[in-house]
Amino acid sequence: MRRVIPALGVGIGWRPEIDLTIERLPGVDFVEVLAENVPPREVPESLRLLARRGVPVVAHAVSLSLGGAERPDPARVAHLAAVACGVSAPLVSEHVAFTRAGGLDAGHLLPVPHTWDALEVLAANVREAQDRLPVPLAMENIAALLRWPDAELTEGQFLAELVERTGCWLLVDVANLHAGARNLGTDVGAFLDALPLERVAYVHVAGGVERGGVYHDSHAHPVPPPVLDVLAQLCRRVRPPGVLLERDDAYPSDAELSGELAAIRAVLDRP
Amino acid sequence: MTGEARQRLAAAQAELLAALVAGAPAPAGFDRERVRTEAEALLAKRRRTVERLRPDLADSLGQRFAPLFDGWATPRPRRDGAGGRDDAGGRDDAEAFDAWLVTEGHRQNRRHSWFQRRR
Repeated sequence: MRRVIPALGVGIGWRPEIDLTIERLPGVDFVEVLAENVPPREVPESLRLLARRGVPVVAHAVSLSLGGAERPDPARVAHLAAVACGVSAPLVSEHVAFTRAGGLDAGHLLPVPHTWDALEVLAANVREAQDRLPVPLAMENIAALLRWPDAELTEGQFLAELVERTGCWLLVDVANLHAGARNLGTDVGAFLDALPLERVAYVHVAGGVERGGVYHDSHAHPVPPPVLDVLAQLCRRVRPPGVLLERDDAYPSDAELSGELAAIRAVLDRP
Repeated sequence: MTGEARQRLAAAQAELLAALVAGAPAPAGFDRERVRTEAEALLAKRRRTVERLRPDLADSLGQRFAPLFDGWATPRPRRDGAGGRDDAGGRDDAEAFDAWLVTEGHRQNRRHSWFQRRR
């Protein structure tokens, strides 16, 4: 799993609603597709077009629940592997989160306790998934609104240990990190300092909104300056192979999306 | 050893998830306000997914959509097992909510009346 991650550049999350926009937007070096929504044998034409142009397509999963107590569902892992093959993905990614427990489905990514128990289970699940995936796996920090009591490690230490135990890569979501700082008091500098930054495969950037004193990582609003500032803090430590903008709703004009990509590139290219 | 860790984690995660989506009390040690905020965010996401899949329902119900959906969804947490697409659970929700609206008389069965008009 210690394969090299290629230089990815600046990218955007591919969504069917903005497929034509993405095809004609200048400066899209790579894209990412939500693996659960792609039938492996019927990859959307737009993605095949991008792939033919040499634009790397990363497969991003949300439902493996690798932070859950159960072992990973082989069918879900197999689906991610098939999508990765179908789009010739250089790597795939999932979240440090659980989505199912006790017969219920959260329909969303929930935080895991930062304990040695949870780390052991997560690492075992990640290794099991890695064994069945054709390409490297990067694990992403999520935007949590709550934290578990009795943490034994900080979030940064938890991720560093996960990398140590599994050899996985990291997908650092700077918007989620900002949300953690704003909502839970996560220390951004300490978080970044704890990570093995040479293992960062790429970065997520997204917009959000503050409501009732809580920052919501909506993916439906412009990227606020504090999120770009967290990106800058990361880039001062390491130049990540890729940075990707996620937009999932309330899609703005092509010009506005282009502007957001340019703002990201400006941070990345800052000396 | 991982087996024991899995068991402990399973119990803790099940307790938190029940508090977040099934109205159970917040587990010991958690900030209750935060648990409530997360529970509301999960419900809002569930509602938005149905709204996106069935904009006609939201349109026809107008202001009543959110309270009716929340009232329907709260005692009906999503069960594990929808699988597939990331909005598979949302599709199940949309279908069941629509059927409930008709049964409860909040909405006429439009498909039927459209068919009758065309006759």
